[in-house]
Order: sequence, then structure tokens, then C-alpha cells
Amino acid sequence: MSKYHNFMRKPLSRREMLSICKGGFGSLAFMSLFGVSTISCNRSKYDALGSGSDILLGPHYLPKAKNVVFLYMDGGVSQVDSFDPKPRLAKENGQDPRKKFKVDATQFDNVGKILKSPWEFKQYGECGMPVSELFPHIANCVDDIALIRSMTSQFPEHTNANYFLHTGSGLQGRPSMGSWMTYGLGSENKNIPGYVVLDGGLIPPGGLDNFKNGFLPASYQASILRAGPQPVANIIPKEQIPNLQEQKLDFIKELDEKQLNAIGEADAIESAISNYELAYKMQSSIPELTEFKEETEATKKLYGFDSDDPHTRGYAAQCLLARRLVERGVRFIELTCPKVSADRWDQHGDLKDGHEKNAHAVDQPIAGLLKDLKSRGMLEETLVVWTGEFGRTPFAQGLNGRDHNPSAFSMWMAGAGIKGGTIFGKTDEYGYRVIENEVTIHDMHATIMHLMGIDHERLTFRFGGRDMRLTDVHGHVIKDILA
Amino acid sequence: MKKEISRSKEFFNLTMMFGRIYKIRVIRKLGGLCFFGVLLFSCNTSDTSYEPLPKHVDFNFHIRPILVQNCYLCHGPDPSSRKAELRLDIYEGATAALREGGFAIVPGKPRKSELMFRINHEHKDKIMPPPETNSVLTQREKDLLEKWIKQGAEWKPHWSFIQPKVAEEYHEAKIDQFIDEAIEQKGLQKAPLANKYTLIRRVAYLLTGLPPATEDVEAFVLDSSEQAYEKMVDRYLDSPAFGERWARHWMDLVRYAETKGHEFDYPITGAWKYRDYLIRAFNNDLPYDQFLKEHLAGDLLEEQRYDSESGLLESQIATAFYAMGEGTHSPVDIKQDEANRIDNMIDVTTKTFQGLTVSCAKCHDHKFDPITAADYYALYGVMESTRFTPLDADQNLAKEITAKEVLGIEAYVQKTVADKIAEKYSEIGLNNEKAPLETSNYKTLGDFRGADLDGWSTTGVAFGSGTTLGNPTIHPATGKLMKLDEGKASSRIFGSGKMGTLRSPDFILDTDFIGVRTRGKQSTIRIIVDNFQLIQWPIYGGLTQEINNAKWEDYTFNVEPWKGHKAYIEILPGEYQQHNYKLHPEAFVEAQYAISFNGDWPSMVASMQTESSTAFSEKQVNRYNNLLKKGQMNLHFPELITALDSTKNLSKTIENTAFIYGVSDGSATNSPVFIRGRYQEPSEENVPRRFLSALPHGNEPFQSKGSGRLELAEAMLQADNPLTARVMVNRIWHHLFGKGIVETVDNFGLQGKLPTHPELLDHLAITFQKEDWSIKKMIRYMVTSEAFKRSAITEGEMSEKDPNNLYLASFPIRRLESEAIRDGILAVSQSLDSTLFGPPIPTYLTEFMGGRGRPEESGPLDGAGRRSIYQEVRRNFLEPMMTTFDRPIPFTTFGRRDVTNVPAQSLILMNDPFVIQQSEILAQNLLAQKELSFDQKVAWLYMRTFSRKPTEIEVENASRFMNKITAMKKSELDKADLDLEVWKEYCHSIFNLKEFIYLI
Repeated sequence: MSKYHNFMRKPLSRREMLSICKGGFGSLAFMSLFGVSTISCNRSKYDALGSGSDILLGPHYLPKAKNVVFLYMDGGVSQVDSFDPKPRLAKENGQDPRKKFKVDATQFDNVGKILKSPWEFKQYGECGMPVSELFPHIANCVDDIALIRSMTSQFPEHTNANYFLHTGSGLQGRPSMGSWMTYGLGSENKNIPGYVVLDGGLIPPGGLDNFKNGFLPASYQASILRAGPQPVANIIPKEQIPNLQEQKLDFIKELDEKQLNAIGEADAIESAISNYELAYKMQSSIPELTEFKEETEATKKLYGFDSDDPHTRGYAAQCLLARRLVERGVRFIELTCPKVSADRWDQHGDLKDGHEKNAHAVDQPIAGLLKDLKSRGMLEETLVVWTGEFGRTPFAQGLNGRDHNPSAFSMWMAGAGIKGGTIFGKTDEYGYRVIENEVTIHDMHATIMHLMGIDHERLTFRFGGRDMRLTDVHGHVIKDILA
Repeated sequence: MKKEISRSKEFFNLTMMFGRIYKIRVIRKLGGLCFFGVLLFSCNTSDTSYEPLPKHVDFNFHIRPILVQNCYLCHGPDPSSRKAELRLDIYEGATAALREGGFAIVPGKPRKSELMFRINHEHKDKIMPPPETNSVLTQREKDLLEKWIKQGAEWKPHWSFIQPKVAEEYHEAKIDQFIDEAIEQKGLQKAPLANKYTLIRRVAYLLTGLPPATEDVEAFVLDSSEQAYEKMVDRYLDSPAFGERWARHWMDLVRYAETKGHEFDYPITGAWKYRDYLIRAFNNDLPYDQFLKEHLAGDLLEEQRYDSESGLLESQIATAFYAMGEGTHSPVDIKQDEANRIDNMIDVTTKTFQGLTVSCAKCHDHKFDPITAADYYALYGVMESTRFTPLDADQNLAKEITAKEVLGIEAYVQKTVADKIAEKYSEIGLNNEKAPLETSNYKTLGDFRGADLDGWSTTGVAFGSGTTLGNPTIHPATGKLMKLDEGKASSRIFGSGKMGTLRSPDFILDTDFIGVRTRGKQSTIRIIVDNFQLIQWPIYGGLTQEINNAKWEDYTFNVEPWKGHKAYIEILPGEYQQHNYKLHPEAFVEAQYAISFNGDWPSMVASMQTESSTAFSEKQVNRYNNLLKKGQMNLHFPELITALDSTKNLSKTIENTAFIYGVSDGSATNSPVFIRGRYQEPSEENVPRRFLSALPHGNEPFQSKGSGRLELAEAMLQADNPLTARVMVNRIWHHLFGKGIVETVDNFGLQGKLPTHPELLDHLAITFQKEDWSIKKMIRYMVTSEAFKRSAITEGEMSEKDPNNLYLASFPIRRLESEAIRDGILAVSQSLDSTLFGPPIPTYLTEFMGGRGRPEESGPLDGAGRRSIYQEVRRNFLEPMMTTFDRPIPFTTFGRRDVTNVPAQSLILMNDPFVIQQSEILAQNLLAQKELSFDQKVAWLYMRTFSRKPTEIEVENASRFMNKITAMKKSELDKADLDLEVWKEYCHSIFNLKEFIYLI
């Protein structure tokens, strides 16, 4: 249990906090959770509102995972070209799919012929999991991976499917899973947000709403981190002279506290004052994150920093950053895709070229992340999730593309609490539909939450007269992939 | 959990209960502490000391909350989750004979009541609520129940469903009497009145969203007259900035946005005109009943409302609120998309105007409120019968009068010609033609070759009131009759470039093709399936066609994929460019008929029009034109030349250049109930369109041929509706006092909060109606109360007795909203451009705002100095400063904003380029006043920023601070620059003081 002491917080009254605050600026070291503790100071107010906002719970039971790294494969990777080999496609290549099976309406309504995978599959690891040539590096990690071949979504359109994947609802405006996680668990680090999206260059269709707090308080929305000199909005002080900002902040604090004393008790103002402490610290803790000075060349190389492909290098930096965020206790980290020349994984045409470019950008960095986490003993407490919002059709769109397919796709998880080398679920001989052990997006959410120590049916927030959940009224934990 | 169990509904209910009950316990245990611990399991609570029981136990205020929290999930209104056939939400249910014998409640006899027996039971299999719900009644709750039963178990409908009533002893009471009584009862000490500086700042910010001008503060402080305060309040009520602030409050309710979000973030045509409508409505103190009616049915009012200044047609603009929702790009399931859209419309409409969460009844009867699934689908029918449409936003009275005049002249001309023809030419030979037989491969959906529009509906002026049949062409010089017009629907009755739509009734698609014979320029025909509007590739591209041909052509639409769906045809001049409606001055469209068919276009489409009620029938027109052509008819009407000339000139004044996306009525459709919310499982019978059955007149089906929206508005405005006035006065109170009398401003249902001052709420609701629903009068009434004028300063003991300041012994401290913070910065730095109205200022885009639909160019950093309400609201690119300071994400009704406290807020004030920029401008403006001494400069700044004078210590502090900064910067700068730099740092610090963003 001691290992999870981070979940156990000593209650601290506002008065206590304030008394700690009395030192000079920047000396403050009280327990606080980004966006959580600060609002918890307002909790009593919140509860009085009867909005049903649940009090910060901590986990429902002993968690396996402390952090999640969510590798979002924007646009939808083709399952039959990556992790779900279908020899029958080669046999029937070029034939009319409508003569073989019932074809659902597709978004682009341009159904071509059955299209065999342009890539060979080989078996890897002790478990012998087949992986296509697209992912030679990830293929070497299969013994740590639980593969689910029976994922389904409800939407064949990107935006709905993205909202669904991220928030459990196909509509705009619901809280994303990272928001739910930080709402339920808080963050472990006081100087870094609990929910971070590493923007690789492509914000998915549906926009920033994929990462928003919906009806949860705004403190639970994702912070967007970008590569470059200013990783987070407004994180760099504009004051050029050393200590100038500190002078100003000390001045501000002095006046604020005088004002506060004059008023009497004002919780809100107290917390607003303490907010400046956090903000101040973030100014140094965030940029420090994105400097990789103390990382060894070997580590960087493992991720692919020396690749010829600029997109591989970019994604490598994102993955390394993800590890550094995990080290610092960030709960939920999502990586969006790099802007390779092809449009994300969404290959409506020219599958071979597009998928190869995308795969090349992410393959080595992801494998690097898994290996690095493992060698540092961090994989045991970190859940890595790899998925798109849906899959692609086994038949061509036009001549050489593939259309959206929400009826079957592959995802995998690795790390904390996951039974490596597992393959779960089954699609038909074409990889078009799930025929065994369907796993819905709700199930995926329930499983991630479960590993984080949250009972997805019990983490609720009262909104609009209902106790809302990430999984709505659905979702089952996929026990078969758990260690 | 085993899968089988967790799939069952009971289990779901149970778990819902878990969450809720757990929460209550935690709150009780923890009080105001910050709590970070692990799960705290609820313990048995057998408290012996508790707040004494009330003399009279009231069902609504004491008993129902216990039942709702502990019993209703299994014994509430929803039959699908009911256990033991027992329901405790109605008197008849609670007192009915139990299945197992006995009665749950025997009024007056707690000992004979099974309920008392069960809640006190020792055995875990018998005790209620069951242990697995984790729900335990406290001793006080048990005692309350017992006392209540002893007192006769009086049942009442939920408090908010009873009409507001003020007891006789309160007939003369004003706000403060209600407040003071409660304060006294709770043994609280009232705070003294706030000083004048505080008061004017409070009033200015709460009424206009801006800090008071220095001159106004000084004038108010100096004004020692008795009416000084009231005069000051009136000045802010009359300020144009008033409407800007209160419009923004309203925009939170209707999920205001200027784009549709989803994948490509398409624009919503003319959304900002609705925003301007709101500003005008609040500034002109439009009575709330009219305001409500215009929102729900502004397009249907018999008496339309025109702006008194501009003459602009106002009433229909309000309907834009329906169309403010998200728009899905290429949904594959178009029927589901409609259901989602309508769900959002119902959600927003019922929360906003009735404070009820009707959307909870989509899948089953409401778990707590007396709202049935049938109620939900009654409203679903209303929304389904409503069509989205671009509307003419610059329609005005003058244009309408002109249009009528033109039509009158034309009718006169036609009649004059017809009379003369009738006099001179006999009707011989007219009946010789035989009506051709209708062939079987097509069906006529609309035929405009006769005199009328064949049951199709129009909006706007363009299509006039009928077809062009028989309109005479008269030689402009000689007055010779040249020809009579054939029948056709035409959007250029008043010339091209006029706005209007022509739409068919709903029909079910049952053929492969729809055909329309048409001609026109830069115009559009669309097939609207399941009310779906965002028609475009990749799925729906074929449902829209551009009309660009001078000669008649047959347009074919392949609708085979949507067979079985409901649809209508929309013909309109103009185009949707990226779904933004545009009308070129040359644009027009004309149509002869529309058909549905299979296979090839039919060789002939027979005219279906019967004899005409106008001057000419179709046959007559053909015959006379023949005669004219052959020179056998020779008539001159020189006396009509001027009349016809005048119509041309008059028509030119009917210009249409501004548009808004609103609604119009479609075909009346009653919806079935969708079982479990799935449209794939409709009930056998349809629910008639009507209001909510638990409210007065809620069982009377709407009679209208269209949607019934007007009847819906009227039902809400019936004198015996218990919610409409209460909900609105409570919203006003919430905005002024920071917290509603009912804190859950959007939920007056059983799960909402009880009112802290029920009699006061009723008093205000009744006063509101008596005072003709005047919002300004209500605001004035509230802000002139003593409660509003009290100081915010609290003593320790006071805040412990009433930690949430529910009883208003002092004025509640609150953070300003995002808009007020930004606008305040602009006002203080003198950068504020106070121009009213107009198109939005494009969003300033940072590098963190990416994704599809990102505008090519960013807007200006300072938003052109305009108030926040004029900054663009792009759903997928929401302004970070606004959202960080808790402006809600526009997807449903938010009557109450969160107030969060996060470092991102501090980072904005510390480092955002906008704040830095404004600090510099402020410093420049300050230094430009060379005559001011140092002390006076500080005083000037304090007056502008905090509406008060600085204390001596504050001036000293400022001086000390600036000396330090000067020392730090000295080496690098010359004197003038140094001054500016130092003052800039000081001004920036001032913006960062809590006193600036909090209303104290």
C-alpha cells in the first residue's frame, strides 16, 4: 500500500494552507493537485450547489496503473494491414465484395474490390503474435502487448468516432476520458497538469473538444503541450530581467493579503492567491520537461532521435516527453499524430504509401517508449494504449484506398496489469466484422478505469438531472487481457 | 461484477444510487475540509443529537428530499424500475394496500405504517433502504417521517409544480422582509451597508459588466440626495452596456455559437444578429413573456414585433436559438442524427424556459420528476415539425407594406385586364381540351402551373402569395396587352435578388428519383431528408443542386438510398456557400412542378391544377395567349402603364442583404415513443404534440397544422404555469446575488435544490408578472434592496453559522466572469471601443488552437478593443481566455457557470500578451497626464481599476515597488523609457490583484 501513498492525502484546511503560504514567493510547498486541489478549496461551495459534483474520491480499489499513455492513431489504422492478418483477402483479391458479404453503407460510398494487404505478416516473440511489416519495432514488444482484434465503434465518421473514443459519446461537449481520470484521481504532481495532450501537429477532427472537460469543471480539461520554446500557452514569463517577475509577484501577494485581511474570510480569494504559487512553479517545471539535457544518447537513439525521417524524430520526442511526464506523475497523457504528408492514418487512397509513412513515423518511437519504460521498471505502473477511432474496410475504396470501418478494428494495451502476449477477440475471414468477444469503446474505457483503480460505474457527476458516467450505462471490464 | 447482473436495469439503478448516497454521506462527514483520502465508507449513523424537528413537517421541504434520495429509484415514477409495485411518489401509491398485505403509509398512524416498520427493521433482508444501496437513514430522517405520518402524511405536488402563492401576512412585504426573517431565524448578524465606492462598483459591474467611470464614481460619492443610489442604478439600467451584459447571460442558456462545430466547424448564418437581437431586447426591456414567445414561435406570431427605432422585424430573429446546436458532418445514420439534434433542442428549451430536465425522459419515464417519456415525445413531435431555414434578417415594416402594395396593384391590373377580356371575348371553345390521363410512373409533388402554390409553404417575400398565372405583360409605351404569364412559382415577383423559400409538405421517399422542372440563376434546390441540413459530400452531395439556366430544365435527384425516409423539397433563390446562406442580387428561381418517379423522366407531366379562384384559369391563359399570338385579340390599357411602372419602382426598395438561420413551420408530425430511446423501436401509437402532462394544460393536444410551437409558448405563459416566472426571476437573482434562491437554476425538478427562501421566490414571481414581465423593473427592485447593498465583509462567527452565505447576511464575494475581466482590462486601459452591435471580431488564434476548420487568418490580439460579447464564438476554436475563466462550452444550457481556480488563470494574467499589451497602453495613458503627481497617478489608477482611492499605505507600497523596479531597470534605459517601463510593470501588477477580478 505504501507504494500508492500518493493517493492518500492528508486533509489540510484552508487556514493551514494559508499559514504555509506566509513565506516569500516561491517557497510554498503545500500539497496541491493541479486543477484539483485548487478547486477542492471551493469544494464545500461546490457541494452546496447540489450540482452533484462528486467529491474527490481517489481510487475505488488498489490500482494497477498510475498513469496512462494513450497513443492515438488518428484517422484509423487498417486492422488487416497491421495486427489482424487475413489470408483470404489475398485469395480473393480483386473480387467484388458485395458478392461475398453484406457491405454496410460507408462514408464515401465508393466500394471497390477486395484488396489484399500489401504487407507480409510474421510471427514474433514467445507468444508468436503476427504483426505486419509496417511495425518491425513494435513487433519486438509483442510479449508485453495484449492485442484486441474485436474492437467496434458506433460511428463511421471521424468526428463522431473521435468524440466517442475520447468521451464515450458521439456528440460534442462531453468530458474526455483524461478529464474523468483526473476528476476521479487527481494528479500526483503539483506543478504539472494532470491531463496532458502532446500535440504532434494534428488536432483530430472534432477539434479540442476531444480533450475538453465537458460538463466537468474547467480545471479538468487537457493542457495542450507542444514541442518548441513555449510548450504550454503563457508559460514563459515576459519579464526580461531576472527576478523582476518575482518582485512583482511578491508585491501582488503583499497587496492581496492585505486586502484579504480586510475582508475577513474569503476562501475563493485565498485559493486564487495560492494559484499564483502554482502558476509560478509551472513556469519552470514545464519548460524543464521539454529539455532533454539529462537524457543519454542511447535513450534518445532508442526512441529514434537519429532517424532520417523528421516525423520519426518528432514523434520520438513526443514519446520521450510522455515518459518524462509519467515520471512526474501526470495521470493521463495522450499523443496525437505527427503531420506526415499523408492525411493521418486516413488512407482513402494510396494505402501503401500513406500507411507506410505513418507507420514509419510512430513505430520506432513507440517501441522505444515501451522498452524504455520497461527497463526503468515503469511499465509495471504505466498503461500504454494504442488505438485508432475505427478500422478500415477489407475492400478497396476506389482502387487502392480503404474506407472507414467501425465494425472491426484492432487496438492494443501494454504495461500495468496487462497480460502480455494475449490476443483477444476475433473478426471474420475478411477482417470486416467482429465474430467473437466484441469489445466496445465503453468496454475499453471501463478497462482503463479499472486498471487505474476506478469502478467505472461509480465515478459519476450529477449534470442535468442525471448521474453521468464516462461509460454512460454501458461498459464491461475485459478481464481476459488482465494479468 | 458478473456480466449478467450488471446488464440488468436493477443493477444500474443500484449503482446510480451508490454514487449519490455515497456523496451525501461524504459531504456530511467532511464539511468544508479539503479531502484527498481514499474511499470513505459510510458508517451507521444513529445520531441522537440533531437540529430539532420542525413544528409542522412539510412534505416538500422535509419529507420528499428523504424519499428522493433513498426510495424513488425503486419506488418512484418510472414503472420499469419499480419494486414490489409500490410507489412513494404519489399519495395514492403510498397509501394503497401492499401486495404483501398492510399499507406503506397509514396517515396519522405511524405504528400501522409498514414504512416505519421497514426503515427500523433489524434484519438486513428486510430493512429499507436495502443495505446494498449503501443508503442509511439518519435518526432525524426517521423521526421526521414518523412525525409527518403522525401529522396526517399530507401529500403535496413537488413545490415547483404548485402555483406561486404569497401568504396574506406577506402581501405588503418587500424583499428585505423575507431575507431579514430568515436571518433572524438563523441567529445571524447582518453586515452593515457597503460604502458608496463599493456600491457603485458592484452595480456597474453587475448591470453592465464594466467598471464605473471615474467621473461617475465621484459624482455618486458627492451626491448626497436621498435618491442618489436609485439615480445611479437607473443610469446603469439605461446604459447600452446593460444589454451587452445581460445578453451574454442569456447566451449561456441557448449554447450560443457562431459555428456548428463537429468536423469542419461550418458557420451558422447570421448568428450574431441573434446576439444583437438579445442586446436590443434587454436594453429595450422587452417584456419577458413576449421574449419567450418570440424565442419559441417568433415566426408564427399573429402580431409581429418591429424595432421601434429601425423598423426591423424583430420577432422571428429570436427563433435562431433553435438553430444554435452542433451540426454533424456527413452522419451515416441520418435518422439518429435528427434524434440527437431534437434531443438537444428539447433539452435546451425545457431547461431554459421551465427549469426542467425533460431530456432525462428520452429512454424511460423520468426517474424522479413527473415527466413521462410520452411528454418527451410530445415535444419531439413539435421539434420534428419545425424546419430550419435562412430568414431575411433585415425585413421591416416598410418592406412589408411595399410588398402588399405591389401585390395589390398587380391584382388590380390583372383584374382590369380580365374584366375587359371577359367583356369582349366569349368563352367559346374553352372546354374542348381533355385532361390528359396521369401515367403511372410518377407522382406529382407540387404543380405551380395553376394559380396557387399547391399547398407548398413559403417564407420571406420572394414568392409572393401565389403563382404568376395570368399576370399581363403590357407594352410600356402603348399599353398594348402583349401576353399573359403562364403559371409558375417565382422568386422574382418583386424582381431578382429577393429572399424567400418555397417548400413542399413532408412526404415519404418511395421512388428512386425526385424531379423538379425549374429555371433560375445562382439558386438552389435541396431535398431535405429527416430535416438534415448540412448537405454535402461524401454522402449527401446529390441532395442539392445549383440552378443556373435561363431555359426550363428538368433536375433529377437520386434519392434511392433514403427510401422510406421522410423528406421535403426546398427551392430557394441564393446559395449555401460552406453552409452559409448567400443571395446574389441577380439570383432568382422559378419552378413549374415537382414529381417523384422511377426510371426515366416521364414524357409528359399533366397539369393537376383545378379551376382557379383568381382572375384566370390555366386554360384561359393558354387560349388567350393563342389569340394574342395570332393577333386575334387586340387590347390596350394605357391607363395601367403608370400603375405597372410604380410596381417596378416599389419593388426595388425590397432589398434583402442580411440573413439569419432560424426556423419555420413544417408539416405537423406526431412522434411515436422511441422505446429505450431507440428510434429503431417506435411505439405503435403516436403521441400528440402537447405540453408537459404534469403542468397545467399539459394534456391538451396542440391543434395547429404546423409544429405547435406557438401553443407551446402559450402553455408556458398561462397564468397558472408555476415555473415560467419563477425560473426567470431566479435567474435574475442568481446573476445579481451570485447564487439563485434555487441554486440549481436550470433544474427546478425533484433533484434540484430546494429554494432557500420559497416565499420570497413566489413573491418575486408574482411581482414579475404583475409588473408586465419587466426584467429591468425586477433588477431595479432587487438591487435597491438592503440585502443587495450589504457589505461583503464577514465576521468569523457569522460565516461559520452560514458558511455558504445562503441567507445573505452579507453580500457574497464573487469572481468576475471571463467577459467582465477582459472588458474591465480594456476599460481601465482606455482601449475599449464601445461600439454596439455588428459582425463578430475574428478569434485571435494561438499556436495551440489547431485542427480542421481553422480560419486562415487570426483575428487581432486585442479583439479590436471591442467587448467580449462581440468576439467570435467558433465552437472548435473557443477563445482560451474565455474558457479558462469558465465561460461554458456551448453544447447545452448553462444557467450557472462554474467558478474554478486554476493556474492557467494566473498564467493568463501574468504572461498573456494581451494583458501585457494592455498594461503598456494603460501606462502610456497614465504618463500622458503630465500634470499629475506620483500620488495622483496612483490615485487615478486606483479609481479606474478599483473604483476607490488608494490608502496612504498603498501609495507608499506603490512607491517602494516602483523604486525597486527602477533600480532593476535603470542601467538599460533612458529616463522616458524607464518611466514607461516601470509604470507598465506596476499597471501589470495592478491587473493581477484579486481586487480587480473579484467583486468585493
